[in-house]
Amino acid sequence: MSADTAGVQPAAVSSASGVIHDIGYRKYAGQRLGRAQIVRALAVQSLRSAFGIGRGAKAKIFPVLLFVLMCLPAVVSIAAMALHPGQGRLFSYDTYQQALRPLVLLVFVSLQAPNLVSADLRYHTLPLYFARPISRMDYPIAKLAGFTTACLAMIEIPLLILWVGTVSQVHGASAVWHETRALGPGLLYGLAWSLLLASIGLALASSTGKRVFSICAVAVPLFVTWILATVLSHIGLQTFQPAAGGEPPALASLAGLMNPFTVMNGVADWFGSGTKVFYARTGGPGPAPGPGPGGGPGPGGALHVELVNLVGHYGPLYGVMFLIMLTLAIGGLFLRYRKVGVA
Amino acid sequence: MSGLINGVIVRITLRATLSRRRAMLLALPAIILIGISALLTATAASSQVWPPEILGTFGFTVLLPLTALIIGTSVLGAEIEDGSIVHLLATPVRRYTVIFSKYVVATALTIAFAAIPEYLASAIATSPGSKLSIGLLVGAVAASFLYNALFIFFSATFRPGRALAFGLIYVVLWEGLLSNLVPGIALLSMGHYGLAIADAIAHDSALHAYLSTGTGIGMGLALAVLTIGLGINRLAAFTIKGDVA
Repeated sequence: MSADTAGVQPAAVSSASGVIHDIGYRKYAGQRLGRAQIVRALAVQSLRSAFGIGRGAKAKIFPVLLFVLMCLPAVVSIAAMALHPGQGRLFSYDTYQQALRPLVLLVFVSLQAPNLVSADLRYHTLPLYFARPISRMDYPIAKLAGFTTACLAMIEIPLLILWVGTVSQVHGASAVWHETRALGPGLLYGLAWSLLLASIGLALASSTGKRVFSICAVAVPLFVTWILATVLSHIGLQTFQPAAGGEPPALASLAGLMNPFTVMNGVADWFGSGTKVFYARTGGPGPAPGPGPGGGPGPGGALHVELVNLVGHYGPLYGVMFLIMLTLAIGGLFLRYRKVGVA
Repeated sequence: MSGLINGVIVRITLRATLSRRRAMLLALPAIILIGISALLTATAASSQVWPPEILGTFGFTVLLPLTALIIGTSVLGAEIEDGSIVHLLATPVRRYTVIFSKYVVATALTIAFAAIPEYLASAIATSPGSKLSIGLLVGAVAASFLYNALFIFFSATFRPGRALAFGLIYVVLWEGLLSNLVPGIALLSMGHYGLAIADAIAHDSALHAYLSTGTGIGMGLALAVLTIGLGINRLAAFTIKGDVA
Protein backbone atom coordinates (compact mmCIF):
# COMPACT_ATOMS: atom_id res chain seq x y z
CA MET A 1 0.00 0.00 0.00
CA SER A 2 2.97 2.30 -0.43
CA ALA A 3 2.25 5.54 -2.15
CA ASP A 4 5.77 6.44 -3.04
CA THR A 5 6.22 4.24 -6.07
CA ALA A 6 5.98 7.04 -8.56
CA GLY A 7 9.53 8.07 -9.17
CA VAL A 8 9.12 11.62 -10.19
CA GLN A 9 12.46 13.17 -10.93
CA PRO A 10 12.91 16.71 -9.70
CA ALA A 11 13.37 18.74 -12.80
CA ALA A 12 13.57 22.41 -12.12
CA VAL A 13 12.50 24.42 -15.06
CA SER A 14 14.44 27.58 -15.28
CA SER A 15 13.85 30.55 -17.43
CA ALA A 16 15.08 34.02 -17.69
CA SER A 17 12.36 35.62 -15.57
CA GLY A 18 12.03 33.19 -12.67
CA VAL A 19 12.14 29.71 -11.34
CA ILE A 20 9.34 27.31 -10.65
CA HIS A 21 10.53 25.04 -7.91
CA ASP A 22 9.47 21.45 -7.95
CA ILE A 23 8.53 20.93 -4.35
CA GLY A 24 7.96 17.26 -4.81
CA TYR A 25 4.23 16.77 -5.19
CA ARG A 26 3.54 13.17 -5.98
CA LYS A 27 0.69 11.31 -7.43
CA TYR A 28 -0.94 8.62 -5.39
CA ALA A 29 -0.06 5.45 -7.14
CA GLY A 30 -1.20 2.95 -4.55
CA GLN A 31 -4.20 0.75 -4.81
CA ARG A 32 -7.46 2.70 -4.81
CA LEU A 33 -10.04 1.10 -2.57
CA GLY A 34 -13.54 1.03 -3.90
CA ARG A 35 -16.99 1.82 -2.76
CA ALA A 36 -17.35 -1.12 -0.40
CA GLN A 37 -14.34 -0.06 1.61
CA ILE A 38 -15.59 3.50 1.86
CA VAL A 39 -18.92 2.29 3.18
CA ARG A 40 -17.19 -0.02 5.62
CA ALA A 41 -14.93 2.75 6.88
CA LEU A 42 -17.90 5.05 7.30
CA ALA A 43 -19.84 2.38 9.18
CA VAL A 44 -16.92 1.66 11.50
CA GLN A 45 -16.42 5.35 12.11
CA SER A 46 -20.14 5.70 12.92
CA LEU A 47 -19.95 2.81 15.36
CA ARG A 48 -16.95 4.39 17.06
CA SER A 49 -18.58 7.79 17.32
CA ALA A 50 -21.69 6.23 18.86
CA PHE A 51 -19.56 5.38 21.87
CA GLY A 52 -17.24 8.38 21.69
CA ILE A 53 -14.27 6.18 20.78
CA GLY A 54 -11.53 8.27 19.23
CA ARG A 55 -12.75 11.37 21.05
CA GLY A 56 -11.95 12.76 24.47
CA ALA A 57 -12.99 11.29 27.80
CA LYS A 58 -15.93 13.67 28.06
CA ALA A 59 -17.53 12.22 24.95
CA LYS A 60 -17.44 8.77 26.56
CA ILE A 61 -19.18 9.72 29.81
CA PHE A 62 -22.77 9.23 28.65
CA PRO A 63 -22.38 6.08 26.53
CA VAL A 64 -20.33 4.36 29.23
CA LEU A 65 -22.75 5.42 31.97
CA LEU A 66 -25.71 4.13 29.97
CA PHE A 67 -23.96 0.89 29.13
CA VAL A 68 -23.15 0.25 32.79
CA LEU A 69 -26.76 0.99 33.71
CA MET A 70 -27.90 -1.44 31.05
CA CYS A 71 -25.66 -4.20 32.44
CA LEU A 72 -26.84 -3.66 36.01
CA PRO A 73 -29.81 -6.08 35.94
CA ALA A 74 -27.58 -8.84 34.52
CA VAL A 75 -25.05 -8.31 37.29
CA VAL A 76 -27.78 -8.21 39.94
CA SER A 77 -29.24 -11.43 38.59
CA ILE A 78 -25.86 -13.19 38.65
CA ALA A 79 -25.19 -11.98 42.18
CA ALA A 80 -28.62 -13.14 43.33
CA MET A 81 -28.03 -16.57 41.84
CA ALA A 82 -24.65 -16.82 43.50
CA LEU A 83 -26.03 -15.84 46.91
CA HIS A 84 -29.11 -18.04 46.70
CA PRO A 85 -28.31 -21.32 44.96
CA GLY A 86 -31.40 -22.73 43.36
CA GLN A 87 -32.69 -19.33 42.40
CA GLY A 88 -33.33 -18.94 38.69
CA ARG A 89 -32.50 -16.11 36.37
CA LEU A 90 -34.19 -12.87 37.44
CA PHE A 91 -34.66 -11.46 33.95
CA SER A 92 -35.83 -12.96 30.70
CA TYR A 93 -33.53 -12.91 27.68
CA ASP A 94 -36.40 -11.48 25.64
CA THR A 95 -37.76 -8.52 27.53
CA TYR A 96 -34.82 -8.15 29.94
CA GLN A 97 -35.84 -5.46 32.44
CA GLN A 98 -39.14 -4.11 31.18
CA ALA A 99 -38.76 -0.47 32.21
CA LEU A 100 -34.99 -0.12 32.09
CA ARG A 101 -34.34 -1.21 28.54
CA PRO A 102 -36.65 1.28 26.77
CA LEU A 103 -35.62 4.25 28.89
CA VAL A 104 -31.88 3.64 28.77
CA LEU A 105 -32.06 3.06 25.03
CA LEU A 106 -34.19 6.17 24.63
CA VAL A 107 -31.47 8.26 26.23
CA PHE A 108 -28.74 6.43 24.33
CA VAL A 109 -30.40 6.90 20.96
CA SER A 110 -31.33 10.53 21.51
CA LEU A 111 -27.87 11.50 22.76
CA GLN A 112 -25.78 9.48 20.33
CA ALA A 113 -27.73 9.44 17.06
CA PRO A 114 -27.16 13.19 16.60
CA ASN A 115 -23.43 12.60 16.98
CA LEU A 116 -23.50 10.46 13.85
CA VAL A 117 -25.46 12.72 11.56
CA SER A 118 -25.85 16.28 12.76
CA ALA A 119 -22.23 17.44 12.45
CA ASP A 120 -22.07 16.36 8.80
CA LEU A 121 -25.23 18.31 8.12
CA ARG A 122 -24.20 21.34 10.08
CA TYR A 123 -20.70 21.77 8.71
CA HIS A 124 -21.70 20.82 5.17
CA THR A 125 -19.28 17.91 4.95
CA LEU A 126 -21.77 15.77 3.05
CA PRO A 127 -20.68 17.03 -0.40
CA LEU A 128 -17.18 15.87 0.53
CA TYR A 129 -18.44 12.35 1.13
CA PHE A 130 -20.36 12.37 -2.10
CA ALA A 131 -17.30 13.55 -4.00
CA ARG A 132 -16.00 10.02 -3.38
CA PRO A 133 -17.12 7.10 -5.45
CA ILE A 134 -20.09 6.19 -3.27
CA SER A 135 -23.67 6.23 -4.34
CA ARG A 136 -26.27 8.43 -2.77
CA MET A 137 -27.71 5.72 -0.55
CA ASP A 138 -24.38 4.43 0.73
CA TYR A 139 -24.10 7.17 3.32
CA PRO A 140 -27.38 6.44 5.15
CA ILE A 141 -26.76 2.70 4.77
CA ALA A 142 -23.35 3.00 6.39
CA LYS A 143 -24.71 5.18 9.18
CA LEU A 144 -27.56 2.78 9.77
CA ALA A 145 -25.23 -0.21 9.85
CA GLY A 146 -22.92 1.52 12.29
CA PHE A 147 -25.67 2.69 14.61
CA THR A 148 -27.56 -0.60 14.50
CA THR A 149 -24.37 -2.32 15.61
CA ALA A 150 -24.02 0.22 18.42
CA CYS A 151 -27.58 -0.43 19.62
CA LEU A 152 -26.96 -4.15 19.26
CA ALA A 153 -23.98 -3.84 21.58
CA MET A 154 -26.08 -1.93 24.10
CA ILE A 155 -28.81 -4.58 24.04
CA GLU A 156 -27.01 -7.85 23.57
CA ILE A 157 -23.80 -7.54 25.57
CA PRO A 158 -25.88 -7.40 28.80
CA LEU A 159 -27.77 -10.47 27.58
CA LEU A 160 -24.52 -12.30 26.94
CA ILE A 161 -23.25 -11.30 30.39
CA LEU A 162 -26.50 -12.62 31.86
CA TRP A 163 -26.11 -15.84 29.88
CA VAL A 164 -22.47 -16.40 30.85
CA GLY A 165 -23.26 -15.69 34.49
CA THR A 166 -26.24 -18.04 34.47
CA VAL A 167 -24.54 -20.85 32.59
CA SER A 168 -21.55 -20.78 34.92
CA GLN A 169 -23.86 -21.45 37.85
CA VAL A 170 -26.19 -24.13 36.51
CA HIS A 171 -25.31 -27.79 36.68
CA GLY A 172 -25.49 -30.27 33.90
CA ALA A 173 -25.31 -30.04 30.16
CA SER A 174 -29.06 -30.03 29.76
CA ALA A 175 -29.40 -26.90 31.88
CA VAL A 176 -26.72 -25.18 29.83
CA TRP A 177 -28.47 -26.23 26.64
CA HIS A 178 -31.76 -24.96 28.04
CA GLU A 179 -30.24 -21.56 28.81
CA THR A 180 -28.65 -21.37 25.39
CA ARG A 181 -31.90 -22.19 23.67
CA ALA A 182 -33.62 -19.46 25.67
CA LEU A 183 -30.91 -17.01 24.68
CA GLY A 184 -31.32 -17.51 20.93
CA PRO A 185 -34.72 -15.83 20.50
CA GLY A 186 -33.58 -13.12 22.90
CA LEU A 187 -30.68 -12.25 20.63
CA LEU A 188 -32.90 -12.24 17.57
CA TYR A 189 -35.43 -10.05 19.34
CA GLY A 190 -32.59 -7.72 20.36
CA LEU A 191 -31.63 -7.43 16.72
CA ALA A 192 -35.17 -6.33 15.86
CA TRP A 193 -35.01 -3.79 18.71
CA SER A 194 -31.75 -2.31 17.53
CA LEU A 195 -32.75 -2.17 13.87
CA LEU A 196 -35.98 -0.34 14.68
CA LEU A 197 -34.42 2.04 17.18
CA ALA A 198 -31.39 2.85 15.06
CA SER A 199 -33.47 3.64 12.01
CA ILE A 200 -35.98 5.75 13.92
CA GLY A 201 -33.21 7.51 15.84
CA LEU A 202 -31.23 8.38 12.73
CA ALA A 203 -34.27 9.42 10.74
CA LEU A 204 -35.37 11.82 13.49
CA ALA A 205 -31.86 13.03 14.30
CA SER A 206 -31.06 13.86 10.70
CA SER A 207 -33.99 16.28 10.57
CA THR A 208 -31.79 19.14 11.74
CA GLY A 209 -28.09 19.92 11.81
CA LYS A 210 -28.13 21.57 15.22
CA ARG A 211 -27.18 19.01 17.84
CA VAL A 212 -29.38 20.47 20.57
CA PHE A 213 -32.49 20.41 18.41
CA SER A 214 -31.52 17.06 17.05
CA ILE A 215 -31.48 15.56 20.55
CA CYS A 216 -34.94 17.00 21.21
CA ALA A 217 -36.22 15.74 17.88
CA VAL A 218 -35.40 12.18 18.92
CA ALA A 219 -36.14 12.28 22.63
CA VAL A 220 -39.43 14.16 22.70
CA PRO A 221 -41.50 11.97 20.35
CA LEU A 222 -40.12 8.73 21.80
CA PHE A 223 -40.67 9.76 25.42
CA VAL A 224 -44.07 11.39 24.91
CA THR A 225 -45.53 8.44 23.03
CA TRP A 226 -43.98 5.90 25.41
CA ILE A 227 -45.54 7.39 28.53
CA LEU A 228 -48.78 8.05 26.67
CA ALA A 229 -49.01 4.44 25.48
CA THR A 230 -48.23 3.14 28.96
CA VAL A 231 -50.77 5.39 30.68
CA LEU A 232 -53.48 4.73 28.10
CA SER A 233 -53.17 0.97 28.30
CA HIS A 234 -53.25 1.25 32.09
CA ILE A 235 -56.39 3.38 31.89
CA GLY A 236 -57.85 0.92 29.41
CA LEU A 237 -57.43 -1.89 31.92
CA GLN A 238 -58.96 0.15 34.72
CA THR A 239 -61.93 1.88 33.18
CA PHE A 240 -63.19 -0.07 30.21
CA GLN A 241 -65.15 -3.28 30.06
CA PRO A 242 -63.31 -6.35 28.87
CA ALA A 243 -63.62 -7.38 25.28
CA ALA A 244 -65.27 -10.65 24.33
CA GLY A 245 -63.68 -13.80 25.65
CA GLY A 246 -62.07 -12.20 28.69
CA GLU A 247 -59.53 -10.37 26.56
CA PRO A 248 -58.34 -7.01 27.87
CA PRO A 249 -60.22 -3.95 26.57
CA ALA A 250 -59.30 -2.78 23.09
CA LEU A 251 -57.82 0.49 24.35
CA ALA A 252 -55.40 -1.38 26.60
CA SER A 253 -54.34 -3.66 23.78
CA LEU A 254 -54.05 -1.05 21.06
CA ALA A 255 -52.48 1.88 22.93
CA GLY A 256 -49.05 0.35 22.49
CA LEU A 257 -49.13 0.73 18.74
CA MET A 258 -48.06 4.37 18.90
CA ASN A 259 -44.54 3.89 20.23
CA PRO A 260 -41.64 1.71 19.04
CA PHE A 261 -40.83 0.44 22.54
CA THR A 262 -44.38 -0.68 23.24
CA VAL A 263 -44.58 -2.09 19.73
CA MET A 264 -41.56 -4.23 20.54
CA ASN A 265 -43.17 -5.31 23.82
CA GLY A 266 -46.31 -6.14 21.86
CA VAL A 267 -44.29 -8.29 19.46
CA ALA A 268 -42.87 -10.18 22.43
CA ASP A 269 -46.40 -10.60 23.78
CA TRP A 270 -47.48 -11.91 20.42
CA PHE A 271 -44.85 -14.62 20.59
CA GLY A 272 -45.93 -15.34 24.14
CA SER A 273 -42.79 -14.23 25.90
CA GLY A 274 -43.84 -10.80 27.05
CA THR A 275 -44.46 -9.85 30.64
CA LYS A 276 -48.05 -10.44 31.61
CA VAL A 277 -50.10 -7.79 33.41
CA PHE A 278 -52.56 -8.06 36.25
CA TYR A 279 -56.08 -7.57 35.11
CA ALA A 280 -59.13 -7.45 37.37
CA ARG A 281 -61.95 -8.70 35.21
CA THR A 282 -65.26 -8.39 36.93
CA GLY A 283 -66.14 -5.20 38.74
CA GLY A 284 -63.19 -2.90 38.92
CA PRO A 285 -60.46 -1.83 41.27
CA GLY A 286 -61.75 1.71 41.08
CA PRO A 287 -64.25 3.15 43.55
CA ALA A 288 -67.03 3.58 41.00
CA PRO A 289 -67.04 0.82 38.42
CA GLY A 290 -70.42 1.63 36.91
CA PRO A 291 -71.80 -0.43 34.06
CA GLY A 292 -70.08 0.73 30.93
CA PRO A 293 -71.40 1.01 27.41
CA GLY A 294 -70.90 -2.70 26.93
CA GLY A 295 -73.44 -3.49 29.64
CA GLY A 296 -70.96 -5.57 31.59
CA PRO A 297 -71.55 -7.45 34.78
CA GLY A 298 -72.85 -5.38 37.66
CA PRO A 299 -70.74 -4.26 40.58
CA GLY A 300 -71.96 -7.21 42.61
CA GLY A 301 -69.88 -9.70 40.59
CA ALA A 302 -66.90 -11.38 42.19
CA LEU A 303 -63.63 -9.66 41.48
CA HIS A 304 -61.00 -11.99 40.18
CA VAL A 305 -57.59 -10.84 39.16
CA GLU A 306 -55.77 -12.76 36.50
CA LEU A 307 -52.61 -12.43 34.49
CA VAL A 308 -53.24 -11.64 30.87
CA ASN A 309 -51.29 -10.85 27.76
CA LEU A 310 -51.69 -7.12 27.31
CA VAL A 311 -52.03 -7.27 23.54
CA GLY A 312 -54.82 -9.87 23.62
CA HIS A 313 -55.49 -11.15 20.14
CA TYR A 314 -54.05 -8.06 18.48
CA GLY A 315 -50.55 -9.61 18.43
CA PRO A 316 -50.18 -9.82 14.63
CA LEU A 317 -51.08 -6.13 14.44
CA TYR A 318 -47.95 -5.39 16.44
CA GLY A 319 -45.87 -7.39 13.99
CA VAL A 320 -47.35 -5.36 11.15
CA MET A 321 -46.78 -2.12 13.03
CA PHE A 322 -43.14 -3.09 13.57
CA LEU A 323 -42.71 -3.50 9.81
CA ILE A 324 -44.54 -0.24 9.07
CA MET A 325 -42.42 1.73 11.53
CA LEU A 326 -39.22 0.18 10.21
CA THR A 327 -40.16 0.91 6.61
CA LEU A 328 -41.18 4.47 7.38
CA ALA A 329 -38.01 5.18 9.36
CA ILE A 330 -35.60 3.69 6.82
CA GLY A 331 -37.54 5.24 3.95
CA GLY A 332 -37.51 8.62 5.68
CA LEU A 333 -33.79 8.35 6.31
CA PHE A 334 -33.08 7.52 2.67
CA LEU A 335 -35.34 10.29 1.41
CA ARG A 336 -33.49 12.73 3.64
CA TYR A 337 -30.21 11.98 1.92
CA ARG A 338 -31.49 11.97 -1.64
CA LYS A 339 -30.20 15.48 -2.27
CA VAL A 340 -26.54 16.22 -1.82
CA GLY A 341 -26.91 19.79 -0.74
CA VAL A 342 -28.72 18.56 2.37
CA ALA A 343 -29.39 21.39 4.79
CA MET B 1 -30.04 48.74 36.42
CA SER B 2 -29.51 46.88 39.61
CA GLY B 3 -32.98 45.43 39.83
CA LEU B 4 -33.56 41.73 40.11
CA ILE B 5 -35.20 41.57 36.71
CA ASN B 6 -34.15 43.40 33.60
CA GLY B 7 -36.94 44.25 31.17
CA VAL B 8 -34.74 44.26 28.11
CA ILE B 9 -33.36 40.80 28.83
CA VAL B 10 -36.85 39.51 29.45
CA ARG B 11 -38.02 40.94 26.15
CA ILE B 12 -35.06 39.62 24.16
CA THR B 13 -35.35 36.16 25.71
CA LEU B 14 -39.07 35.98 25.07
CA ARG B 15 -38.58 36.97 21.47
CA ALA B 16 -35.71 34.56 20.92
CA THR B 17 -37.66 31.64 22.38
CA LEU B 18 -41.01 32.29 20.77
CA SER B 19 -40.27 33.88 17.43
CA ARG B 20 -39.09 30.72 15.68
CA ARG B 21 -41.50 28.38 14.04
CA ARG B 22 -40.31 25.47 16.16
CA ALA B 23 -41.86 27.19 19.18
CA MET B 24 -45.10 25.79 17.82
CA LEU B 25 -43.75 22.29 18.44
CA LEU B 26 -43.57 23.11 22.14
CA ALA B 27 -47.33 23.22 22.27
CA LEU B 28 -47.67 19.73 20.81
CA PRO B 29 -47.51 17.65 24.03
CA ALA B 30 -49.99 20.04 25.64
CA ILE B 31 -52.38 19.68 22.72
CA ILE B 32 -52.04 15.89 22.92
CA LEU B 33 -52.89 15.93 26.63
CA ILE B 34 -55.94 18.13 26.15
CA GLY B 35 -57.09 16.11 23.15
CA ILE B 36 -56.75 12.78 24.96
CA SER B 37 -58.60 14.15 27.99
CA ALA B 38 -61.44 15.36 25.78
CA LEU B 39 -61.61 11.99 24.01
CA LEU B 40 -61.61 10.02 27.24
CA THR B 41 -64.24 12.31 28.72
CA ALA B 42 -66.43 11.58 25.73
CA THR B 43 -65.99 7.81 25.94
CA ALA B 44 -65.46 7.00 29.62
CA ALA B 45 -67.10 9.88 31.38
CA SER B 46 -68.66 7.74 34.11
CA SER B 47 -65.34 6.73 35.57
CA GLN B 48 -63.35 8.95 37.88
CA VAL B 49 -60.30 6.70 37.83
CA TRP B 50 -58.49 7.94 34.78
CA PRO B 51 -58.19 11.75 35.20
CA PRO B 52 -55.66 11.69 38.02
CA GLU B 53 -53.90 8.78 36.34
CA ILE B 54 -53.22 10.46 33.01
CA LEU B 55 -52.87 13.98 34.39
CA GLY B 56 -50.52 12.88 37.13
CA THR B 57 -48.41 10.48 35.10
CA PHE B 58 -48.38 12.10 31.69
CA GLY B 59 -48.48 15.63 33.06
CA PHE B 60 -45.78 15.28 35.69
CA THR B 61 -43.43 12.84 33.99
CA VAL B 62 -43.65 14.09 30.40
CA LEU B 63 -45.45 17.36 29.80
CA LEU B 64 -43.96 19.47 32.60
CA PRO B 65 -40.38 18.17 32.68
CA LEU B 66 -39.93 18.04 28.91
CA THR B 67 -41.38 21.51 28.35
CA ALA B 68 -39.28 22.88 31.17
CA LEU B 69 -36.22 21.04 29.84
CA ILE B 70 -36.52 22.49 26.36
CA ILE B 71 -37.35 26.01 27.53
CA GLY B 72 -35.07 26.04 30.57
CA THR B 73 -31.99 24.92 28.69
CA SER B 74 -32.63 27.21 25.75
CA VAL B 75 -33.25 30.57 27.45
CA LEU B 76 -29.61 30.73 28.47
CA GLY B 77 -28.20 27.93 26.33
CA ALA B 78 -29.17 29.41 22.98
CA GLU B 79 -27.21 32.56 23.70
CA ILE B 80 -24.23 30.61 24.95
CA GLU B 81 -24.33 28.46 21.86
CA ASP B 82 -24.42 31.23 19.30
CA GLY B 83 -21.93 33.30 21.26
CA SER B 84 -24.14 36.32 21.81
CA ILE B 85 -23.96 35.80 25.58
CA VAL B 86 -20.65 37.69 25.36
CA HIS B 87 -22.45 40.87 24.43
CA LEU B 88 -24.96 40.38 27.20
CA LEU B 89 -22.32 39.74 29.84
CA ALA B 90 -20.30 42.73 28.67
CA THR B 91 -23.13 45.09 29.59
CA PRO B 92 -23.24 46.49 33.12
CA VAL B 93 -26.03 44.12 34.11
CA ARG B 94 -25.40 41.98 37.14
CA ARG B 95 -25.08 38.29 36.52
CA TYR B 96 -27.81 37.51 39.02
CA THR B 97 -30.08 39.86 37.14
CA VAL B 98 -29.36 37.89 33.97
CA ILE B 99 -30.15 34.60 35.69
CA PHE B 100 -33.29 35.89 37.40
CA SER B 101 -34.63 37.49 34.21
CA LYS B 102 -34.06 34.29 32.26
CA TYR B 103 -35.56 32.26 35.09
CA VAL B 104 -38.71 34.35 35.18
CA VAL B 105 -39.16 34.06 31.42
CA ALA B 106 -38.53 30.31 31.41
CA THR B 107 -40.95 29.73 34.26
CA ALA B 108 -43.64 31.91 32.71
CA LEU B 109 -43.32 30.08 29.39
CA THR B 110 -43.41 26.68 31.09
CA ILE B 111 -46.54 27.69 32.95
CA ALA B 112 -48.09 28.83 29.67
CA PHE B 113 -47.11 25.72 27.70
CA ALA B 114 -47.48 23.06 30.40
CA ALA B 115 -49.16 24.13 33.65
CA ILE B 116 -52.13 25.87 32.06
CA PRO B 117 -52.76 23.05 29.54
CA GLU B 118 -52.58 20.67 32.50
CA TYR B 119 -55.28 22.70 34.21
CA LEU B 120 -57.38 22.88 31.03
CA ALA B 121 -57.14 19.12 30.56
CA SER B 122 -58.21 18.44 34.13
CA ALA B 123 -60.99 21.00 33.85
CA ILE B 124 -62.27 19.13 30.80
CA ALA B 125 -61.93 15.79 32.58
CA THR B 126 -63.57 16.88 35.82
CA SER B 127 -64.86 20.43 36.25
CA PRO B 128 -63.18 23.85 36.18
CA GLY B 129 -63.40 24.29 39.94
CA SER B 130 -62.74 20.74 41.05
CA LYS B 131 -60.18 20.03 43.74
CA LEU B 132 -58.21 17.96 41.28
CA SER B 133 -57.85 20.67 38.67
CA ILE B 134 -56.99 23.39 41.19
CA GLY B 135 -54.50 21.07 42.87
CA LEU B 136 -52.88 20.13 39.58
CA LEU B 137 -52.65 23.77 38.54
CA VAL B 138 -50.91 24.75 41.78
CA GLY B 139 -48.66 21.69 41.66
CA ALA B 140 -47.78 22.26 38.02
CA VAL B 141 -46.95 25.93 38.61
CA ALA B 142 -44.73 24.91 41.52
CA ALA B 143 -43.06 22.24 39.38
CA SER B 144 -42.44 24.83 36.64
CA PHE B 145 -40.49 26.94 39.12
CA LEU B 146 -38.54 23.92 40.36
CA TYR B 147 -37.60 22.33 37.03
CA ASN B 148 -36.51 25.59 35.48
CA ALA B 149 -34.25 26.39 38.40
CA LEU B 150 -32.50 23.08 37.84
CA PHE B 151 -32.24 23.36 34.08
CA ILE B 152 -30.98 26.94 34.14
CA PHE B 153 -28.31 25.77 36.56
CA PHE B 154 -27.39 23.01 34.08
CA SER B 155 -27.11 25.41 31.18
CA ALA B 156 -25.03 27.89 33.19
CA THR B 157 -22.68 25.07 34.16
CA PHE B 158 -22.28 22.89 31.09
CA ARG B 159 -21.99 23.46 27.37
CA PRO B 160 -25.43 23.59 25.68
CA GLY B 161 -25.43 20.04 24.28
CA ARG B 162 -24.20 18.63 27.55
CA ALA B 163 -26.70 20.63 29.61
CA LEU B 164 -29.50 19.15 27.54
CA ALA B 165 -27.99 15.68 27.92
CA PHE B 166 -27.84 16.00 31.70
CA GLY B 167 -31.38 17.35 31.73
CA LEU B 168 -32.61 14.48 29.60
CA ILE B 169 -30.89 11.91 31.80
CA TYR B 170 -32.41 13.58 34.83
CA VAL B 171 -35.91 13.62 33.39
CA VAL B 172 -35.93 10.18 31.76
CA LEU B 173 -33.65 8.05 33.91
CA TRP B 174 -33.78 9.72 37.32
CA GLU B 175 -37.44 10.69 37.42
CA GLY B 176 -38.91 8.40 34.78
CA LEU B 177 -37.11 5.20 35.72
CA LEU B 178 -35.35 5.25 39.06
CA SER B 179 -37.91 7.20 41.10
CA ASN B 180 -40.41 4.46 40.27
CA LEU B 181 -38.04 1.57 40.99
CA VAL B 182 -36.42 3.06 44.08
CA PRO B 183 -39.01 5.04 46.09
CA GLY B 184 -36.31 6.90 48.04
CA ILE B 185 -35.34 8.77 44.90
CA ALA B 186 -38.69 10.57 44.96
CA LEU B 187 -37.17 12.56 47.79
CA LEU B 188 -34.81 14.15 45.27
CA SER B 189 -37.20 14.54 42.40
CA MET B 190 -38.67 17.87 41.31
CA GLY B 191 -41.73 16.21 39.78
CA HIS B 192 -42.60 14.52 43.06
CA TYR B 193 -42.42 17.83 44.94
CA GLY B 194 -44.92 19.20 42.45
CA LEU B 195 -47.12 16.11 42.86
CA ALA B 196 -46.97 16.39 46.65
CA ILE B 197 -48.14 20.00 46.42
CA ALA B 198 -50.90 19.04 43.98
CA ASP B 199 -51.98 16.21 46.26
CA ALA B 200 -52.24 18.58 49.22
CA ILE B 201 -55.21 20.20 47.52
CA ALA B 202 -56.57 17.33 45.43
CA HIS B 203 -56.26 14.50 48.00
CA ASP B 204 -56.28 11.80 45.35
CA SER B 205 -54.33 8.61 45.82
CA ALA B 206 -54.27 7.95 42.08
CA LEU B 207 -51.83 10.83 41.69
CA HIS B 208 -49.17 8.53 43.20
CA ALA B 209 -47.72 11.29 45.36
CA TYR B 210 -45.16 9.53 47.56
CA LEU B 211 -44.06 12.58 49.50
CA SER B 212 -45.87 14.54 52.17
CA THR B 213 -46.80 18.13 51.42
CA GLY B 214 -44.36 19.52 53.96
CA THR B 215 -41.50 17.54 52.47
CA GLY B 216 -42.49 18.62 48.98
CA ILE B 217 -42.61 22.31 49.79
CA GLY B 218 -39.55 22.28 52.03
CA MET B 219 -37.27 20.23 49.81
CA GLY B 220 -38.57 21.99 46.70
CA LEU B 221 -37.86 25.45 48.09
CA ALA B 222 -34.45 24.42 49.36
CA LEU B 223 -33.40 22.84 46.08
CA ALA B 224 -34.77 25.71 43.98
CA VAL B 225 -32.84 28.26 46.04
CA LEU B 226 -29.75 26.08 45.93
CA THR B 227 -29.80 25.51 42.17
CA ILE B 228 -30.56 29.16 41.39
CA GLY B 229 -27.72 30.18 43.70
CA LEU B 230 -25.38 27.73 42.00
CA GLY B 231 -26.55 28.95 38.62
CA ILE B 232 -25.71 32.55 39.55
CA ASN B 233 -22.37 31.37 40.86
CA ARG B 234 -21.62 29.47 37.64
CA LEU B 235 -22.63 32.35 35.39
CA ALA B 236 -20.54 34.73 37.51
CA ALA B 237 -17.57 32.47 36.87
CA PHE B 238 -18.47 32.08 33.20
CA THR B 239 -15.51 32.46 30.89
CA ILE B 240 -15.34 32.26 27.15
CA LYS B 241 -13.47 29.11 26.27
CA GLY B 242 -11.80 29.45 22.91
CA ASP B 243 -14.03 29.69 19.92
CA VAL B 244 -17.61 29.34 21.04
CA ALA B 245 -19.14 27.25 18.33
